[in-house]
Amino acid sequence: MKKIVPLLVMLLLPVSIQAKKEEIKLDVKTHTFSNGLELVVVERDLSPTVSMIVRFKVGSADEHPGITGSAHLLEHMLFKGTPNIGTADYQAEIPLMEKIDRLALQLTAAIQESRSPLYRGDNSRINSLRAQIASLQDEQKKYIIKDELWETYLKNGGSGLNASTGNDGTQYYVSLPSNRLELWAYMESDRLANPVLREFYSERNVVYEERRLRVDNSPYGKLGEQFNAAAFTAHSYNWPVVGWASDLETVFREDVEKFFRQYYSPNNIVIAIVGDVDFNDVVKLIQRYFGDIPPSTQPVPPVTTVEPPQDGERRVAVRYDAEPLLSIGWHMPAGGAVDQEVFDIISSLLSRGRTSRLYKSLVEDKQLATSVNAYSGFTRFPDTFTISASPKSPHSIEEVEQAVYEEIARLAADGPTEWELQRVRNQLDADYVRGLQSNMGMAYRLADMQAKTGDWSYLIKLKEKRQAVTAGDIKRVLAEYFTTANRTVAYLVKPENDNSDAMIIKKTESTQMGAK
Amino acid sequence: MKRITLTLITALLLFAISGLDAQERKSPGSNVIAGLVYPELEWKVPEVGKEVTRTVLKNGLILYLMEDRELPLISANAIIKTGSIYDSKERMAVADIAGSVMRSGGTKSYSPDSLNSILEFIAASVESGIGQESGSVSMSVLAKDLDLGLKIFYEVLRYPAFDTSKISLEKSQIKEGIRRRNDHPGSIVSREFDRLLYGDHPYGRVLEWDYVKDIGRDDLTAYHAKYFHPDNIMIAFAGDFDSKKLIKKIENIFGAWEKSPVDFPPLPAVALDYKPGIFIINKEITQANIRVGHFGIKRDNPDKYAISLMNFILGGGSFTSRLTSRVRSDEGLAYSVRSVFSTGSRDYGLFYAFTQTKTSTAHRALEIFFEEFDKIRRDPPSVAEFETARDSYINNFIFQFDSPGEVVSRLMSLEYDDYPLDYYQKYLENIRSVTLDDIKRVAEKYLDPDSMSILIVADTSKFEKQDFTDFGNVIYAALKDPKID
Repeated sequence: MKKIVPLLVMLLLPVSIQAKKEEIKLDVKTHTFSNGLELVVVERDLSPTVSMIVRFKVGSADEHPGITGSAHLLEHMLFKGTPNIGTADYQAEIPLMEKIDRLALQLTAAIQESRSPLYRGDNSRINSLRAQIASLQDEQKKYIIKDELWETYLKNGGSGLNASTGNDGTQYYVSLPSNRLELWAYMESDRLANPVLREFYSERNVVYEERRLRVDNSPYGKLGEQFNAAAFTAHSYNWPVVGWASDLETVFREDVEKFFRQYYSPNNIVIAIVGDVDFNDVVKLIQRYFGDIPPSTQPVPPVTTVEPPQDGERRVAVRYDAEPLLSIGWHMPAGGAVDQEVFDIISSLLSRGRTSRLYKSLVEDKQLATSVNAYSGFTRFPDTFTISASPKSPHSIEEVEQAVYEEIARLAADGPTEWELQRVRNQLDADYVRGLQSNMGMAYRLADMQAKTGDWSYLIKLKEKRQAVTAGDIKRVLAEYFTTANRTVAYLVKPENDNSDAMIIKKTESTQMGAK
Repeated sequence: MKRITLTLITALLLFAISGLDAQERKSPGSNVIAGLVYPELEWKVPEVGKEVTRTVLKNGLILYLMEDRELPLISANAIIKTGSIYDSKERMAVADIAGSVMRSGGTKSYSPDSLNSILEFIAASVESGIGQESGSVSMSVLAKDLDLGLKIFYEVLRYPAFDTSKISLEKSQIKEGIRRRNDHPGSIVSREFDRLLYGDHPYGRVLEWDYVKDIGRDDLTAYHAKYFHPDNIMIAFAGDFDSKKLIKKIENIFGAWEKSPVDFPPLPAVALDYKPGIFIINKEITQANIRVGHFGIKRDNPDKYAISLMNFILGGGSFTSRLTSRVRSDEGLAYSVRSVFSTGSRDYGLFYAFTQTKTSTAHRALEIFFEEFDKIRRDPPSVAEFETARDSYINNFIFQFDSPGEVVSRLMSLEYDDYPLDYYQKYLENIRSVTLDDIKRVAEKYLDPDSMSILIVADTSKFEKQDFTDFGNVIYAALKDPKID
């Protein structure tokens, strides 16, 4: 591997946080390495443990139709090892994987062909290709040492070991006894430098099962997927993180490898480490293990598609065999943009706690719903502010929807009381303190903000921006954004209760009558 | 829309292990890892009398305290010896509703609304609940608000008002929950599996609207009066306080509460009534939800350490446990595969393995399950498998004590559950004393494939192989709509 001469500490910035009331001091130390990798560290010796997050600035929003689900599938694949981990003989695996790749292409083509209405063949070719792939997979298993990375972490006390993918980012986390930090550095740098996507096609099936579990057989999963698909017509928040079912059948190892090369480079990573460590030792360790990994030669591809303004209400019905659910969303600004923080305050006013407006009105007083939740996020691209509710029988979804609009209209007309605003401000202050309690919680917040804004201390700036929100801001933002035209509404309904068929039939009848 | 973040595994599993076979295959990386040198870790399990203070007030209230001055926060967790287990099936909801309305229904000095307003304005929380075998009231406050928080905490414990409007709200919330209980396949399978094995024993019974609808305020006040006495309560405090000063404050507030012994009703014992066979419930979904298992052990069983390691190797250790390795990794049949062997249950707990797979492969997944049950009973595990399981338990142990709140709650729970007080001091020794042969021994003794119950919730019309009789007697059961009025 080409050696890159490391620049000496480029940025070394100890910062002390001073919260006004509670005097919380928190030293966050940062360092950017010459290959672009950004490090955020908090030294903390509450227990001899340490929590690490490797955050990649890539998520499902970076995909495109045809390969949806790739960011998440890649996250699964990065647990499959490298030439050093997870194999007794990598060289012997290479030709087998190449053969499997070729057969997988043929198999997929054969399956697609068989679905054509004009197809007259039988399944013999598909079955034969499946058998050939299975036998090659069996042969490769002779060399594979299964889940060695995972096993090694666990053997060494790894806790909270996992990874996750969202629209905006992908992260790998683990906590270890603090004397084992070097093991982490070895394994993480190894899989970043040289991952081997072995066992790709069986893992693709695993992810398909994950989709069945979380989306196809889950009431909120079904509703959420269709909500986003309606709310976003152009932007990539349109599709689910897990990917469309048909893409999970046709995405190949090559596609996911390409995705890796485009996005998984040191210049697209934030590492956050919180625990019983010494900052200077951490910098040296990361330099030693990650310092030689070259940055990407091509710039990381930006997401350029912008969601056009919504010009009218969109309504979606989702048929599913479960009791009704409701989601309403309005497009809102991205994290860091003007007014984003106002939405955070609105969500607290509406649904945080038993004094919140929607809870008080819909759950306690009118008893129309068992739960109501408003949610606003700090996202890379403009997302939606959503309200979800679970109606309480015999009340209908329509009643719940109207009651939500009434509360929003009331808040928009009168604004919040000073007591309500101060309640939310106090809660936000306390949230900040509580967010620092666990090492992993702190590492996550720091990595997330550093990745989204390039500056972890935006956490503090955001806290200040939220504190400065006024009743006037609330009224203005509600009037500007919470309009009918900017709104998407999704209903989950039982098939027998969905009367849209009846409406179509009626329409047809009336058309025919008109034709007469 | 709130974005769903997908994780690699369903929950934060503590443990996992690899199925490295006995064959001596090694990766190049394993040699590098073997060469890493780790400095000694200086750490001991926190102890009462050292990091943790335990004290008993004159009225019998037991306190555990651990100071943690890093952040200006204080938390408290009270555990009350009570639970729905002491009641008949028809009365099972009383504990549940009393647990919720103790807090939501206000107190002697605070109406429900004022309680909500005061707590939310100071960004604090006091919450309550009563489960099957214990009750809890928790508090979280900023240190500056300790006095107010303590006063409310005390009132919720001692003087709940059980406002009638909040009782009817809670009942209607429960009713809607019952109405929706068949919406999620996963909850159907776990509920029906418990019901199948435990029958009418509290561990298996299912809440019905009939048991809820007539409960009134008198039921709740009587329930509270029966169990809520200081000598029946323990409280664990952690956070930014001086222990001596805090004990004084607590004495001032709680001291006037007089002790009064509780006359506990007898506990029903679990009848080990095995139900071998296959029980299939039809629901139009695209995955078969499968659960397989039988009765396990009580928590005082000395084999529990060996059983934990055995289950880790079988299916408890997530990724590289045998079940996950074969069902998920080898064959790509499922996202979530696991086995659970409960070792903390007072009466007999359960062993079960579960997965969800596309309907057509349900039969195949079950085949693998039973092959692995047989294998772990037949052969001892490889040395590598055994060591991974053992080392995972040993090295992960520290994370059970990585926050002061967790330390005090764990130590208090030992006392509540009648464990020996040096349980955690001896824990590692107990894990280390498990041998390779113990794994096979406990697998043979505590796993009995012939007496296992198999429960499947699936769209039966989509089974590829319709015939499940190779696993036992097949019984089709209908999923009943819950009865509400």
